[in-house]
Amino acid sequence: MKTVLTDDMLKGYFQPDAEPGQLARQVLLAARASAQESEKLLDRLAIQATAEGISLIRAQRLEKPATAGARRLVERAREELYEYFQGKRAFFSVPVDLSETPDFQRRVLEAARRIPFGEVRPYAWVAQKIGHPRAVRAVGTALGRNPVPFIVPCHRVLQSGGGIGGYLFGSETKSGLLALERTTPIYEGCASTHIVCRVGCSSGRRMRADNRVVFASVQDARSVGYRPCKVCKPSRAA
Amino acid sequence: MEHDKKLMGRVARGDEAAFTELVGRFGGRLLGVARRLLGSRADAEDAVQRALLQCYLGAGTYQAEWAVSTWLYRILTNVCVDELRRRTSRSGQLDPPARPDAPGRYLDLHRALVRVPTEARVLLALRYVDGLSYGELARIRGISINTVKSQLARGKSLLRTALTKGGAS
Repeated sequence: MKTVLTDDMLKGYFQPDAEPGQLARQVLLAARASAQESEKLLDRLAIQATAEGISLIRAQRLEKPATAGARRLVERAREELYEYFQGKRAFFSVPVDLSETPDFQRRVLEAARRIPFGEVRPYAWVAQKIGHPRAVRAVGTALGRNPVPFIVPCHRVLQSGGGIGGYLFGSETKSGLLALERTTPIYEGCASTHIVCRVGCSSGRRMRADNRVVFASVQDARSVGYRPCKVCKPSRAA
Repeated sequence: MEHDKKLMGRVARGDEAAFTELVGRFGGRLLGVARRLLGSRADAEDAVQRALLQCYLGAGTYQAEWAVSTWLYRILTNVCVDELRRRTSRSGQLDPPARPDAPGRYLDLHRALVRVPTEARVLLALRYVDGLSYGELARIRGISINTVKSQLARGKSLLRTALTKGGAS
């Protein structure tokens, strides 16, 4: 049966919903609960770097970086982690130094690094990627000793049955990070410059809050007259 | 409108009663937009809650030259568009909701809307839930008025084609 589109039909379909009674109360409760759990985690973290990149992130005391270059990298990592925990960063640009990491583990970490922001893969997927499909347990161990958690996203690897699996900072933190990534957008445009960036791009950070427009894809942004940022190259993301 | 702005001023100072009044005033329309975009009431409530939380925590960044509704819709559509991105990236294509809760006579329209590209769909929802002007739509999505017009026309033309073919099944 054919249906003819009319304005009345659109208006009928798009009628506002009944206002839910508890909405404001629920939001206010959530606002009180969001007492920046993630910032507390960042306070506990110590970061170490070489001149090449970030080499260790742990919740314990670590030696101070030896050179000025390494100190700058640590500062940059802390800043990027802060933004990430705030839901204002969807990628890390600070380099990591895995040169001291054994070959097998390094391959595991590099595979984990290819899991897109906000997505998850099973341990078996990582095992497959590094060409050792049966080494699922070894993959788990290698990820468990990830020297640079968060930046190499070992938290995006789950058990095949969907179980959360282990995590350096506890499974609660792991599910917290996954929830954070589920609510962090990847692409944002600036309404005044009509440039679309990856969330966390240095030029995007200067954007005023009221100029922020989220897009579902770079293609969508282009379709309404935005152009991709030349600094963060959002077309290459994901 | 001035009343809304005063209300926002109180929300920015952490006045919970003012926030409750604001939600009472706009909650239904926000939910309407979110449900037409995301398909189910549960997903819509989740999106509206997240958007309102951002509004509450970020009330200090509200600029008085904006209508409060424009500001709220900007935040809400940002949340909804990102939710649509996640659905697309998971499946490779946009899934229609498993159990659409649209009333029977709108089922064809509901299915056809899934075929409309995200940006046009957002504009259609805003235009028809709240009857917003082209200027407001442009401001909400950070685009030009001409783009608003062409996107709406394109969206409607896609809907018309899908419906004429006897539903988008």
